[in-house]
Amino acid sequence: MRRRLDVRRLTQYGVVVVVAVTLNFLLPRLMPGNPLVLIAGVDVGLLSPDERAEIVARVGLDAPLWKQYLRYWGDILTGDFGYSFRSSRPIVDMIWDRLPWTLLITGLSLIVSAVAGVILGAISAWRRGTKTDLGMLSGMISIESLPSFWLGMLLISIFAVQWGLLPSSHAVTPASDLVGWAHTWDIVSHAVLPVVTLSILATPGVYMTMRYSMLETLGEDYIRTARAKGAGERRVLFGHVARNTIAPVVTVLALRIGFAFGGTVIVETVFTYPGLGRLVFEAVSGRDYPVMQAAFLVFTAAVLVANLAADLLYPLIDPRTRTS
Amino acid sequence: MTTMRRFASSKALILVVALGLMAAACGGEDTSSEEVSAAQAQAAAAQSDAAAAQSEAAAAQSEAESAQAEAEAAAAALAQAQADLEAAQAAASAAMEGDEASQSALADAQAALEEAEQRAAATAEASEAAVAAAESALAEAEQALDEAMMEQEAAAGPVTVRAAITGDEATLNPYTYISGFPGWNLLMLQYDSLMQLDADGIPQPWLADTVSVNADLTEYSFTMVEGVTWHDGQPLTAHDVDFSVDYYINNVEASRFARDLRGVEDLVVTGDYSATFVLGSPKAGFELAALADIPIIPRHVWEGVEVPSEHDFGATNIGTGPYKLVEYVEGQSYRFEANPDYFRGAPAVAELVVIVYADDAGAQAAIRTGEVDVIFERIPPEQIPLLDAQDPLDIALGPEFTTQMINYDASKRPFDDVAVRQAINLAMDRQDIVDTVFLGAATVGSPGWIHPEHRSFNPSMIPVHDVAAANALLDEAGYLDSDGDGVREFDGQPMSFEIITNAPDSLRLRIAELTVEMLADIGIETSVAAVETGTWEQAVWPEFNVNNGRNYDIAMWGWSAPVQADPLRLPQLVASIPMGGFLNLTGYASAEMDALSAALPVESTEAGRIAILLRMQEIIAEELPFVLLLYPDGAYVYDSSVYSDWEFIAGQGIVSKLSLLPPSARP
Repeated sequence: MRRRLDVRRLTQYGVVVVVAVTLNFLLPRLMPGNPLVLIAGVDVGLLSPDERAEIVARVGLDAPLWKQYLRYWGDILTGDFGYSFRSSRPIVDMIWDRLPWTLLITGLSLIVSAVAGVILGAISAWRRGTKTDLGMLSGMISIESLPSFWLGMLLISIFAVQWGLLPSSHAVTPASDLVGWAHTWDIVSHAVLPVVTLSILATPGVYMTMRYSMLETLGEDYIRTARAKGAGERRVLFGHVARNTIAPVVTVLALRIGFAFGGTVIVETVFTYPGLGRLVFEAVSGRDYPVMQAAFLVFTAAVLVANLAADLLYPLIDPRTRTS
Repeated sequence: MTTMRRFASSKALILVVALGLMAAACGGEDTSSEEVSAAQAQAAAAQSDAAAAQSEAAAAQSEAESAQAEAEAAAAALAQAQADLEAAQAAASAAMEGDEASQSALADAQAALEEAEQRAAATAEASEAAVAAAESALAEAEQALDEAMMEQEAAAGPVTVRAAITGDEATLNPYTYISGFPGWNLLMLQYDSLMQLDADGIPQPWLADTVSVNADLTEYSFTMVEGVTWHDGQPLTAHDVDFSVDYYINNVEASRFARDLRGVEDLVVTGDYSATFVLGSPKAGFELAALADIPIIPRHVWEGVEVPSEHDFGATNIGTGPYKLVEYVEGQSYRFEANPDYFRGAPAVAELVVIVYADDAGAQAAIRTGEVDVIFERIPPEQIPLLDAQDPLDIALGPEFTTQMINYDASKRPFDDVAVRQAINLAMDRQDIVDTVFLGAATVGSPGWIHPEHRSFNPSMIPVHDVAAANALLDEAGYLDSDGDGVREFDGQPMSFEIITNAPDSLRLRIAELTVEMLADIGIETSVAAVETGTWEQAVWPEFNVNNGRNYDIAMWGWSAPVQADPLRLPQLVASIPMGGFLNLTGYASAEMDALSAALPVESTEAGRIAILLRMQEIIAEELPFVLLLYPDGAYVYDSSVYSDWEFIAGQGIVSKLSLLPPSARP
């Protein structure tokens, strides 16, 4: 029974991968605009037809679309994505340079937003209908509607420009030669504002799920029973409510891991943070097809892996789903 | 249950991997502090130089003092001699009065007198000499002190200047730099060309010592400065120039330099330090278009490079320029170190760090927080007063040759009618746009294209704003509003068009909005379509090839500075497409313009070329292949407490090696 389920699920993932890879390939090419200006510079209008052809051939854009598509699959299977149009660097190197930074700020912001969202959501549900609950709820709704670039710029203008407490951009002080603790501190101080921005933006989602899920649990008969048994508030909250609430929250978090990558595009751009998000932004503005394809693939993989993790974690957390 | 545990452990594995990656990120880039200590040592050396000069000055002062003492002694001796003389004279007169026995006394006195006189003269001479010596010693001391102070100033001056740019420029060699500005400008900090633009934007000999051209503009000969070395110590010779020219011509791919060299048939090397470019056909302005543009690359480094754009030289590019690139972190920063042996003099700034920001806002925040000392991009007009008001920030302002203009498809109705184009031109209140959108930080556009600060500007070009005249023109040409809806008609259709512009350029968007209002005054209805840059380019200039036609009615457009800086490129804009109008985006065509365009590059005298350019400006203003609205002024913000010797090259801005060289080394 299980085995068959797994096969079906694997097939599903397989189909999703093929569709995603195909879209990754097609989307950049469907965008209007031309990578030629990026490669040839402002004098592109002065190129002779021969020179154009030479450039297009060099980057492999002269091949028919299906050939380019097959080549992309080849790239994926071999893990070699060739050279960027823009920087003429191997794309794999570029992604490995950027990935750790994105993992750092998305990882930290996931932790912060999960903790904050769960705690605030629990308090809110526990005090449902009170001024605290309504205040928090409307606060979270307002935060959720904040544009991320605006929030980032606001934090920069307060903490970096006005108060001079934190650096406004980058992951380390450029050309600073710091070593040891000074280097670590440099990284931490640069990560604070992006992490805070991402955390603030991610908290309402967790909060809403937690609050709603807990409200539902609080209305269950077994809670009334627990109270009727004379269990203390604390025991009811942690022993009965929290344990039954956590499953949907974990799902939301797992899905967020995947989408957190995409969410970094704007925040990393505002803070000039050298992560994958900024790489994508640069690649899209420059129509750097191979970089776009490779970076989108990493995003796709992140979403799929997070989904898979949620699928697999669910029975661990919620015994009820194991017997289906 | 075991499967569960396996999942749990794989989760742990993912976590460990992520943590490991983070640790890797944290652990990276442990570059040594050698460079810092080198810079410190340099500063210390300068300081000790200053100290030496100071002690020299002190020595000179004491010398002067002793000279003064000598002079005083001499003066005292003089006084003594005078006293002696007086005594002798007294004795002599007494003797005259006395008897003859006193004759001998008189002789004695006379001898004494002579002796005293001699002594007095000698002392006076000595004293004069002493005074002169004292004076010169003092002057010397003063000079030594000045020098010491200047040296100390240089040592205390900026060791490091941090500059912001808003986009990565890759590895900054001639095949990898990305943008024409500031990419080329940063490239040229490391490399030199045979000629270099001076502050007025005129090419002056640089690596070349002399440049001469024959009468029919087909041979450009030059001699080179001797003793210039590459960053790795090898000497630069005409053979490197020869190699560079061949290399650019043979490796066309992504290089603009091959295009600069179009028409070059051969470079004849006539000695280790002299050569002659031989062109296939006469070409005026080769100095600006090629000699002042092409970076000379070292033969011994590039000889074996087959795919230049993918070749990795490591961090360092070898050039002859005032700076060496010593570190590049992709998407983040560049680090340039001064070349102390630079042949025009050691740069005034020991280290230049160029930091990449994602956008203007990031760069402006960084200069406010002091993270950078200068922004190597123009700042938008509304930021000029705000940044200028902040201490110690200052603004360098000057003319730039970039443009904001209206393009229309002049090959189709109704824009093929010159009356319509003239009416649009008359309807534009350029001063209003300059004041409203640019807050005054722009120069009103000449209807003849060329910037008023440019040496080939035709001073009779005066923009006219006259709505009544525009309406009269349209009425006369038969474009009437027959249905009374406020919009004129042409060929039975309303004169209603879309103005396409690129959304990310907010200033251009605002110009488009004002244009809508101004065109409404003459009965032409327009609306703004603000689209993404790639889409906009594709509509105005499909595939960047004018032979592909145009997919727009009206578009806001602008050219980068090089298109206007070199007036000999004007034919590319206004010659008809088959006659070489590579940049003719409006499909305009005129027989006289084509004839002038063909005559311009083969005209051998400067005066003759200016005459052609003046006429071309008249035709542009009359026939309006496009409507030039304004030239944004260049405004650069810098921190004057760190470095303020920025040189504004007319039409080019402050980002050049001139800004970083001591004023004495600038052309």
